[in-house]
Amino acid sequence: MEDHHSTAFHPPVESTVYASLVSNRYLTSRLIPVIAVAAVALCVALVITVVSVMSGFLDMLKASGRSIVGDVIVSSGIGGMPYSDELLAELRALPEVAGATPLIDTIGLLRMPYPAGPQKETAHVQVWAIDPASLTGVTDFAEDLYWRAPKDAATADALAPDDPRRSLDPAILEDGKRLVQSSTNTPGIALGMHVSVGNARQRDGSYLPRYGWFMPGLEVTLTVVPVSGKGKIAEPREQIFPVVNEVQTGLFEVDRNRVYIPLAEGQRLLRLDEAPLYDLTADPDASGNYPVIGRTPARVTKLLLRAKPGCSADALRDRVQATYDAFADRIEADRLRTASMPRFVQVLTWEQQLRDLIIPVEKEREMMRVLFSLIYLVCAGLILSIFWAIVVEKTRDIGILRSVGASRTGVMWIFLRYGLIIGTLGSALGVVLAWGIVTNVNPIHEAIGSDAPLAIRITAWGLASACAVGLCVTALRRKFLPTLLWTLGTIVLSAAALGLTLHHGTLIWDPSIYYFTLVPDKVDWWAAGTTAVGGVLFSVIGSAIPAAKAADIDPVEALRYG
Amino acid sequence: MAEQPLLQACRVHKTYRFGAHGVEVLRGVDLAVHSGEWLAVLGSSGSGKSTLMHLLGGLDRPDAGKGEIRFRGEPLSLQPGSALDTYRNRDIGFVFQFYHLLPELSVLENTLLPALVFGARAKRRTALRRDAEALLGAFGLDHRLTHRPSQLSGGERQRVAIARALINRPAVLLADEPTGNLDATTGAGILDLLAERHKQGLTIVMVTHDREVAARATRQVHLTNGTSDSAAAQ
Repeated sequence: MEDHHSTAFHPPVESTVYASLVSNRYLTSRLIPVIAVAAVALCVALVITVVSVMSGFLDMLKASGRSIVGDVIVSSGIGGMPYSDELLAELRALPEVAGATPLIDTIGLLRMPYPAGPQKETAHVQVWAIDPASLTGVTDFAEDLYWRAPKDAATADALAPDDPRRSLDPAILEDGKRLVQSSTNTPGIALGMHVSVGNARQRDGSYLPRYGWFMPGLEVTLTVVPVSGKGKIAEPREQIFPVVNEVQTGLFEVDRNRVYIPLAEGQRLLRLDEAPLYDLTADPDASGNYPVIGRTPARVTKLLLRAKPGCSADALRDRVQATYDAFADRIEADRLRTASMPRFVQVLTWEQQLRDLIIPVEKEREMMRVLFSLIYLVCAGLILSIFWAIVVEKTRDIGILRSVGASRTGVMWIFLRYGLIIGTLGSALGVVLAWGIVTNVNPIHEAIGSDAPLAIRITAWGLASACAVGLCVTALRRKFLPTLLWTLGTIVLSAAALGLTLHHGTLIWDPSIYYFTLVPDKVDWWAAGTTAVGGVLFSVIGSAIPAAKAADIDPVEALRYG
Repeated sequence: MAEQPLLQACRVHKTYRFGAHGVEVLRGVDLAVHSGEWLAVLGSSGSGKSTLMHLLGGLDRPDAGKGEIRFRGEPLSLQPGSALDTYRNRDIGFVFQFYHLLPELSVLENTLLPALVFGARAKRRTALRRDAEALLGAFGLDHRLTHRPSQLSGGERQRVAIARALINRPAVLLADEPTGNLDATTGAGILDLLAERHKQGLTIVMVTHDREVAARATRQVHLTNGTSDSAAAQ
């Protein structure tokens, strides 16, 4: 062997080929890495699933919120804003504005038609006096009207046999859109879907009348209290309205409390309509009336605006604020005007307006993200303990590798690479698992809420019985480990079979209680990406300590005692 | 001027520390291995044979300031760890009593392992694979290439270990009781194999407690109480 190629003390660059070979063989010839990959996958899938569903709920909440109030809300005090028609005309002329609508927002009492007998139930409600036509251009009011006749026979057939929509008069939708009962030509009222106890929500998100109280067509009495610009309370005023439709916005707080009446009726009831202006400094006539010197304009308490596509709510808010200020200045300077614009109005974006609803959910999502991210530590700890055991078991291998020239860094890289592969595989598998769960969350949810099919129950009992047979066989052979494993399998499968037999369906997210009919089923890919990277990172961190220990092992001791 | 030894131990001391206590295993061992010779280091159990072999192979270092190991005249003690890694990979081949094969790797992969440690591009790997197959074929293992060590007999495992030690064409083969775990017939076969390689010019240092095994070497050195006595030429 004279042709040996000594490089005496001039080391070439170490290759990573052998490290790849060894770590690949460690991965493919043992069960432990499979367990580690499964653990990482479960951690990653759990975090992605929770964050995706929470993000979905937040998005649904925001989408619902914006569809209820538009992009920008101008709110005045109880005295209201005069000259709203002129102001709205100016606002609608802005290039950023897609639609604008006036309304009055107040509170009232609603006497319901139930129960039978003279004593009727009364609910306190939020009253929105609206202009239905222009409100539809700003919010989803028209789409939110729940009662409507099916478009065609196929749609009707898809409804439950006892669903009232199967036999509705098509006029009910138009009545709702106009807030007028067309049969009597009287102003009508639309109730939030949960204002009446008569509506029972079903698991598919539809409603059935409860106790026979189908509200459209019944009459309710609305009582409101006018308040003067100086804050004085006047005599309460009431009006009987026929219910023309009911509104489902998607936000329970809204649908539980809000009713909609025509703007003109609201202005009249609240004394915010156009009225004569008397000269109280003059002497009254023989009848005791003061001379009329003009008319005070009608008022509204809110303006809702929808931004054109491409314009942000914040940008529109700034533009509306500037327009309002300029308008108020002009009114102030005009001596012919009989009223002035309120100086202090709130101009808010929809997010600012609904922050009480949105912020808690946002905080909740972030808290869940932080809490579930602690699972990473579990993941790193698991990898660490598994790898520590592997390093101890493979001490002799480390000595062998060092004896054939592997460096300490090379040995460390074997285990780091091992951790990197486990983290990458586990994270990738976790993302796929989370994708499978999230995109099928509604069928899964539905399955949990229903009786298990007979075939599944029979299969579960069959598997449990097979395990019991295996248990008997291994027990007779007096093998401890197989006996233990078969015992565990028998217990788990029997419990599962028993659970499936006794279980009659539990909906976690019951649409008859919660508002959204479907659980969000879109993966939050940003969260998925960051979670997967975290999974890889913490797997490498978990493997780093055992890898460093492996690198520090004395090769002589490893060969002697490993 | 005498020929420079290929590998040399000069007044080497080695002490193992166990807390406050120390056990001095080697006490000034002198040894010179010349190119092309087959040296047997004879000694009883605990005499420091394996320790001496680890020192010669660069797996361990002598006590600080107490002797040194020289390869081609250059002291190993002055070299950094990375240079010793290269030395073990390129210049030394180890054969152990208990074979020390990686159980997850096949026969072929175990043999190739030292060749893959430093620079093994795809083209080179193909050539290396051919070398390994030829080496294993020469050792009668060509039908065992894809087998795992657990599927081999003791003699076969030791032949794989020798093939692994030779794959990088080292200057010196260090064999620690290479027949210690084998029956007499199988052991004789392994010694025949070493003898054949020695004839081809391979330098071998073999430690053993067995005089009959040592008798196959061209020279013997006795290690007693941590010191080497006079070398006995055969």
